[in-house]
Amino acid sequence: MLMKLAGGRLYDPANGRDGAVGDLFVRDGRIVADPGPGAAPDEVHDLSGRVVMAGAIDIHSHIAGGKVNIARLLMAEEHRAAEGACGCGVGLATPSTHATGCRYAQMGYTAAFEPAMLPSNARHAHLEMADIPLIDTGGYLVLGNDDLLLEILASGAGEDAVADYVGFMLNATRSLAVKAVNPGGINAFKYNRRRLDVDENGPFHAITPRRILTALAGAVQRLGIPHPLHLHGFNLGVPGNVEATLDSIAAVDGLRLHLTHVQFHAYGAEGDRKFSSAAARVAEAVNHRPNISVDVGQIMFGQTVTASADTMAQMNNAGLAHPKKWVMMDIECDAGCGVVPFRYRDKAFVNALQWAIGLELFLLIEDPWRVFLTTDHPNGAPFTSYPELIRLLMDRDYRLARLAELHPALPEHTILGSLTREYSLGEIATMTRAAPARILGLTDRGHLGPGAVADITVYTDRPDRRAMFEKPDLVFKDGRLIVRDGVVVAFLQGRTHVVEPAYDPTIESWMARRFDERMGQRLTHFRIAEEEIRGGTGLIRHACQPGSF
Amino acid sequence: MASDRPPHSVARPVVHRDVVCPFCGLGCDDLTVEEEPPATLAVRSTDCPVAIERFSRTLAAEPPRVAGVPVPLAEAVDAAAAVLGAAQAPLVAGLGTDVEGARSALALAGRLGAVVDHALSDGLYRNLAVLQRTGWIATTLAELRNRCDLLLVAGPDPAALHPRLFERWVAPAPAFQTPPSREVVFLCGEPLDTTRAALSGLPVTVLAGDPAKSGDAAAALAAALPDPSRASGAAGIAAGDIAALAERLVTARYTVVAWSAAAFDGPHADLTVERLVRLVRDANRHTRCAGLPLAGDDNVIGVNQVCTWRFGVPLRTSLAGGIPLHDPHRFDWARYMAVADAVVWVSAFRPEVPAFPAGQTIVALAPPGTAFADEPAVFIPVGTPGIDHPAHVFRSDTVVALRARGLIDRNLPDAATVLKAIAAALPQEGLPC
Repeated sequence: MLMKLAGGRLYDPANGRDGAVGDLFVRDGRIVADPGPGAAPDEVHDLSGRVVMAGAIDIHSHIAGGKVNIARLLMAEEHRAAEGACGCGVGLATPSTHATGCRYAQMGYTAAFEPAMLPSNARHAHLEMADIPLIDTGGYLVLGNDDLLLEILASGAGEDAVADYVGFMLNATRSLAVKAVNPGGINAFKYNRRRLDVDENGPFHAITPRRILTALAGAVQRLGIPHPLHLHGFNLGVPGNVEATLDSIAAVDGLRLHLTHVQFHAYGAEGDRKFSSAAARVAEAVNHRPNISVDVGQIMFGQTVTASADTMAQMNNAGLAHPKKWVMMDIECDAGCGVVPFRYRDKAFVNALQWAIGLELFLLIEDPWRVFLTTDHPNGAPFTSYPELIRLLMDRDYRLARLAELHPALPEHTILGSLTREYSLGEIATMTRAAPARILGLTDRGHLGPGAVADITVYTDRPDRRAMFEKPDLVFKDGRLIVRDGVVVAFLQGRTHVVEPAYDPTIESWMARRFDERMGQRLTHFRIAEEEIRGGTGLIRHACQPGSF
Repeated sequence: MASDRPPHSVARPVVHRDVVCPFCGLGCDDLTVEEEPPATLAVRSTDCPVAIERFSRTLAAEPPRVAGVPVPLAEAVDAAAAVLGAAQAPLVAGLGTDVEGARSALALAGRLGAVVDHALSDGLYRNLAVLQRTGWIATTLAELRNRCDLLLVAGPDPAALHPRLFERWVAPAPAFQTPPSREVVFLCGEPLDTTRAALSGLPVTVLAGDPAKSGDAAAALAAALPDPSRASGAAGIAAGDIAALAERLVTARYTVVAWSAAAFDGPHADLTVERLVRLVRDANRHTRCAGLPLAGDDNVIGVNQVCTWRFGVPLRTSLAGGIPLHDPHRFDWARYMAVADAVVWVSAFRPEVPAFPAGQTIVALAPPGTAFADEPAVFIPVGTPGIDHPAHVFRSDTVVALRARGLIDRNLPDAATVLKAIAAALPQEGLPC
């Protein structure tokens, strides 16, 4: 079947189109070249005047896995709210799988990636992601606190062994990328260490966080994994943590590194309140180093829940829980999880400054290919707040009006009021489509050129950007119309994106012994078979190119 | 790991190695199971009574029945759909099934507007009630095995329900502690003889207080942590013993407090769990300590996980209309059974069902040979996950999901297939939601 999307304004940064009027043709789920005047489309949509972009891609959103279910259990109240009533569940901070797929698709998103899949919990995460309708998914594997990796490092084995281990783990768990969460810190917390400096030896294995960080960044490079090491850095949420953030950038010494939810890691300890914005310093470092990318992890005001593998940081935050209940777990010699409900208040100075720091980062980092739109769902805010965030970036008057409503001491602590930049539609298309696809290695997503998967979103160009991005006119997934005027009109299943880097399989015999001796599980059972992912039809493999990054 | 199956059917045992046991939630995946053709299984590698008994129950397939009369599967499915389509207050429970079975059962329940619950959710809810009220600090089995230097077992010995707990997760020395030492304390419970044997090389202390007062003992311990010299006795345990244990708790490097909530007797057992959880939290002011709530039989943890991710709320939920409504009291299957007018009961892990109220309309999915006090309206024999078909099941610690493979072919449908067929035989609706 041939479908024609006629006369839309195409925002397709990967192909150099910035609002140019043009036609798109879709056949068998993919965008194809103009078949010429002789072709008779079976279906035509007149998109004159409308804004057309590829389906949006969220590179960092906690949508599945053990911590998400714990968060749902702790957030029982929001599952009693009738808003958005649906027999398949509700929730904003902790939506059901069904609601997750629907809300994303209704905003024009066609893929979202779970950025904290623990090795031991990977099978669960995949089973859960398969139940999210409409969108593609995938997971980043959390390494860097796993006792097996720390043992390899402590043994003095070389970088080859580290890369083989990482390569095996990515294949076995069907992951797309490597995530490091407070490297060494979660492991140290299991020995009652509540803080661990970057150059301090951790307990038992006697390895420094810096060593873990550089080993993993190096392994990602050696294996040729498209996505750089995805780093949840040190001292999350602690005033003055900008020094550790800048130190992380220096530590990788030119290797590619993605700093996730960097808003939570861009804090100074200056001023009368010993809490200040260090956004300008972080932005300057990012602007000068093309090997560094970030997503922001913007906070928005209201009730949410924070869920993280970083038990060390979460234990420190547990006293701030709202409502006053929280869960910590030490998990299976590979990581942990901490779930702390939290309410960001616009009249609280700290929260207001966090909000401003996130926006400063967005506006000060110049290259939209290296700064990504996230709220670290649900940690900074539910992903449903993206349209509001887009409006804040695109509309300075609106931003200033919001700023004026916040804590009265805020203006003297932020330069936000002086920042005149407004994001263009093309820049929004870059940071939510083209750039995420590129940095994850998804070559046939995030753009509208021939050969791309026909994940397409169509908007009416409204001055109120929130209204515009909240409710696209049309959303296509794999060439099928799934949303019309904000209403889901068809259900289909997404796919699971993975990488399968090559590694030396001799590491497996060592690992098999370790699994028998320690994990109480056979290595063969740890490995997830292809037929376990969406019944065997779910995998999309992305090429690794060792040495090319 | 592959089955050592000869190319031609000969009368010698087929040996299945590294078999995953899906039954009690410990996730043992090292079983050797011998198959005597045509379909008799015998566990050879362990004397775990649960594994031995459950793998042995593989009677030959039998036809479905409607009102006691053998019928083809399609007819039984249609009869089930007819009964359920007419129900005003259906219950979909038992839910002894794997992840795919849970998905299918919950989807059917959604279509019917039913209440959902698992047969063995009592223990789970004693734990979840506390998780939802206060939260907790918990751990997993490999952390217990490799990091724990002090294991405190509260209440009756969990090995009664999880037989290989001590052999597999406690007897091996902790790999990630120096020195690799471990001791075990039983608080308000006596270890079974098999447990004592499994722990023969380790220091074991038994503080045999009143099991019904495990919570009092936990509270006394928590109170004694800041200053053990001011400890008071509780649950029949002397003050001096509480003081000594409190002293040990604050000096331990990584204490695990384990309990099997299903084993606690008496009403309001969740309050016992709550005091254990508080003890764990208080101990973390001094050192590291984590709880290990055990409750995993018949994949109750996995089914609860699926329910929570699909609906945002755990089991004991009504899908009767509007948003899913969770109420652990009202929608306890044992209570709701009295008002339900039709029941789908899934028990794929064992050929046993509870005594249903007389006259209750039951659609039962269970293995061949299941005995019923009263013949159900519809009985559809199904295979057992991990015996007749591959299956995803969750371990009791909620984190690890395992994939068990199928061992034999008794020509039985799996529960998921039957449940989907019943849903497909109901009057069709438009787009969900």
